Amino acid sequence: MRRPGTSNVIIRRRRRELVVGAILLVLFVLLPLPIGNTYLRGLIVLTLLYAGLSQGWNILGGYCGQISLGHALYFGIGAYTSAMLFTVLGVPPTLGMFAGGILAGLAALLVGWPCFRLSGHYYAIATLVVGMTALLLVQNWDFVNAAMGITIPFRADSWSDLEFRVAVLPFHYVMLAYAAVAWLIAWVVEGSRWGFYWRAVKDDATAARSLAVRVFPSKMAAAAISGFITGVGGALYSQYVGFIDPDSTLGLSLSVLIALPAVVGGVGTLWGPLLGAAVLIPVQQLSIAWLGSAGNGIDLMIYGMLIIALALARPQGLVSLLGVRSQAGGEVAESA
Amino acid sequence: MTAAIVLQVAIGGLLMGLIYALVAAGLSLIFGLMDVVNFAHGELLMLAMYATFTIHQALGLDPLVQLPLIALLLFGAGAAIYRGLIARSLAVRFNTGMVQVFVTFGLSIFLVGAAQLVFGSDFRAISDGVLSNRTVAIGQVVLPLAQVAAGLICLLAFAALVLISRTEFGRALEATREDREAVALIGIDRDKVFSVGWGIGGAAVGIAGVMLSNFYYISPTVGSNFALIAYVTVALGGFGSLPGALIAGVLVGLVEALTALVMDPSLKQVGIFAIYVLVLMFRPRGLFGRL
Amino acid sequence: MTGFGCRRLAAAAALGAAVWALAMPPGALAEPPDIIIGAVYPLSGNAAPIGHDAQMALETEADIINGHDNIPMLLGQGGGLPRLGGAKIKLVFADSQNNPQIARTETERLITQDHVIAVIGSYTSATAVTISQICNRYQIPYISAENSAPSLNQQGLAWFFRPSPTDNDFSAAMFDFFRGIGKQTGRPVHTVAIIHENSVFGTDSSRIQSGLAAKAGIKVLADISYQASTPSLSVEAERLKAANADVVLPSSYTSDAILLMRAMHDAGYTPKAIVAQDAGFIDPAFLKAVGPLAEGVMTRSSFALDATKTRPAIPKVNALVKAHDDGKDLTDMTAREVTALQVLADAINRAGSTKNTELQAALKVTDIPGNQTIMPWVGIKFDSTGQNTEGNPVIQQYQHGQWHTIFPLDVATAPAIWNVGE
Repeated sequence: MRRPGTSNVIIRRRRRELVVGAILLVLFVLLPLPIGNTYLRGLIVLTLLYAGLSQGWNILGGYCGQISLGHALYFGIGAYTSAMLFTVLGVPPTLGMFAGGILAGLAALLVGWPCFRLSGHYYAIATLVVGMTALLLVQNWDFVNAAMGITIPFRADSWSDLEFRVAVLPFHYVMLAYAAVAWLIAWVVEGSRWGFYWRAVKDDATAARSLAVRVFPSKMAAAAISGFITGVGGALYSQYVGFIDPDSTLGLSLSVLIALPAVVGGVGTLWGPLLGAAVLIPVQQLSIAWLGSAGNGIDLMIYGMLIIALALARPQGLVSLLGVRSQAGGEVAESA
Repeated sequence: MTAAIVLQVAIGGLLMGLIYALVAAGLSLIFGLMDVVNFAHGELLMLAMYATFTIHQALGLDPLVQLPLIALLLFGAGAAIYRGLIARSLAVRFNTGMVQVFVTFGLSIFLVGAAQLVFGSDFRAISDGVLSNRTVAIGQVVLPLAQVAAGLICLLAFAALVLISRTEFGRALEATREDREAVALIGIDRDKVFSVGWGIGGAAVGIAGVMLSNFYYISPTVGSNFALIAYVTVALGGFGSLPGALIAGVLVGLVEALTALVMDPSLKQVGIFAIYVLVLMFRPRGLFGRL
Repeated sequence: MTGFGCRRLAAAAALGAAVWALAMPPGALAEPPDIIIGAVYPLSGNAAPIGHDAQMALETEADIINGHDNIPMLLGQGGGLPRLGGAKIKLVFADSQNNPQIARTETERLITQDHVIAVIGSYTSATAVTISQICNRYQIPYISAENSAPSLNQQGLAWFFRPSPTDNDFSAAMFDFFRGIGKQTGRPVHTVAIIHENSVFGTDSSRIQSGLAAKAGIKVLADISYQASTPSLSVEAERLKAANADVVLPSSYTSDAILLMRAMHDAGYTPKAIVAQDAGFIDPAFLKAVGPLAEGVMTRSSFALDATKTRPAIPKVNALVKAHDDGKDLTDMTAREVTALQVLADAINRAGSTKNTELQAALKVTDIPGNQTIMPWVGIKFDSTGQNTEGNPVIQQYQHGQWHTIFPLDVATAPAIWNVGE
């Protein structure tokens, strides 16, 4: 059998993706410069954060087909690790975020090992349960200040500490780097042997069984990478917002918000998470800004309707509007 | 920690578990039919509670009296959700599983916002129903009447569900679940079966909602208090299994109550999650799952 | 007209205009610009009822300052801020959704886009942390209306001001009350049972109460932490019943308060005394839901609705708030929100400007006597950490459908119904 990814069509497509990626990178580097408005810049920062987070989720959920509804666990591990290292030991978050990512990746392996043999919906609910358990345990864990959370004090503008008094631009570039690296990792994985296995599994369940032995280690790898990316995002979040507590870093709504951009944008595609984040995050934040102050729930109604509309109108994701076909489209994965 | 207290707590947990079981039954039914996890199930519960409250305020009807009415209302709501949203998402050619998950998820967010818009966000409660504030004593064990009634009604509703599954329609449901494509060949209207299935699932959670409103508070986000437990219960019992939902519900209720007695009550859900993980290690499809 | 005549006419007109302008008092030519103040509260989600009430309370106070209600308290005569030419207060609200990230983003938006000169908030501690931090970075004052976590004024923020007492003060008031009532009736408190929800509010409060109990030589028979918004509190109620302490000390939000009272009733347990940490127990929705079960419940409070003798402004302010907020009386929360805006407006007025550093300086030297407000406090004076040192809580008891102040004795309006030791 020919090595996957060696046909000319595929090589050209992948090269094209890199080119488009590079162009987008340049555009995003330039984007905030003409926009002086702090709020809009902050909106882009959040969008890029979620683009990265969702891309991380996508590696496990989209390409691998394991729909995780408990990804906030990895986000929280990254956030708490970085924050604790910084506030207790003075370790700069630029290092702490990698520690957080690694711990999150390990946690993903621990969760994946027993859970990957659960099929579809059972797996989703199992990840949900794991996430909720973590939330409950951390709420009662005095070492990390339990429910009271950790405040990351601002001392001075610093790139190594990822702290900036009011400047949003540095965070823009940090999050852009994050989203770009997440995208790159997804690009590499998509073209790798693992990607090939997962596509085969998704397209044909019988093939899954004959390949089962080789699929499990690759799923574990996907989990670890996915966990790592999500954990790093959590660490970046904790520096950006300056305060973390169990509810805001381990909650269910966060887990869903991490998965949603990929689903809306196009699960299992390279551009899906970015596109989905670019639509969902501004809509969510702007509906709070414009409608939230009336306090009558209309912002929630609009957000909910948007999710429904996008899921129904474009089930293959928004990327289909760009004529990009899902590379890994198909059903939710059966057990490994 | 006397035996009386343990018995008291256990029975209380059992009663609560019956409510969980009924809520889970609706979910399980819907999943069993069409592989859809309804993430708006908690909001259907919330709607039933608000409907009960509103009718109680407006017409003075006791919640018990409203049971058939609310069951019918929620039947309609379930069927409407199927026709309006789910049917469309089933017709989708890609990622149907994912689309259904997120469509129902979007619906749940929408319903919470709508409830806040229509009813406001204040907490409501029914305090003057026939069952409110009354207790019944059986020996040393004292139980709130509202919860005993809830347990009994939920058990009856379960019996009804089992009966339905034995009827012609029930067998059509079963057949549709087994092979969606083939049933059309033998004259079973798939859409009709699914609508009724969703309707029954809605009615089940509606009945649970009516009984809950006798003793629980009502707010736009009240659904989420029960939703997570419901999903865990269904998965524990096995998606698509009615007996599974019943046994799992009772188990969850018991474990929750007993964990709260011996450990810090704020960790009582961890007890449930631990049981869940344990069961799934040995039976990946839940206690009675066959899908 | 000849060129020379035109020039003379123009000169005359210019001279006339200059004389006219000089003769006018400053700012009288045009309305002074509104003073824009931001308020960040949970306006949707679980805590939306509180946020909604806060919005109503703040708008009422803004109306009082801007209007002509002639209320006997500081800035109650209306007509805007006198030292700024009658400038009116304009509130801009933002929804925090009780989420610290959204609170931060929205506060930043209010500061950079709406150019608010100060921010009031925010009900929960988590949101208060991010809001106060971002305000500090932008050097905009943050007035914490009703956040009670003691750690908030220990963050080393120079732009943080809190008129309200903290949980330390509230719990201390409870134990002062125990000492006082014990001496007065000869039936002191020997044991307590603490029950609290497991988020910041409950955890913090139980920690402080345990510490104070230890100092007072009172045994803590049970310290039960429960999951907020849980389906059932029956087991928790059973545990309280088993402990059978002299006093039950709950820290709960409205929904759980309702469940807890009902669960204790169902378990056949009527505690001899319940002294609550406010929050859910003073919510009118709670009182409505549990009806007669609330009789005798005591709570610490920063506000006393019945202190009308020493605080004559209360009836009028209460009437206005009721009109604004579906007939709800002033509560401990809404009273503090009204006061927070009053304190801020006073500082702006004294500063005579909206410049942040001048506002900060004016806030630092705030010195408002208690009888110029609706609060039963000695007054409002901030220490170096921005904490009001003169806000003293009271203890109230729900008797016959109304809250009565029962402690301290010099402001009490009714004797306490004290069943401990009976």
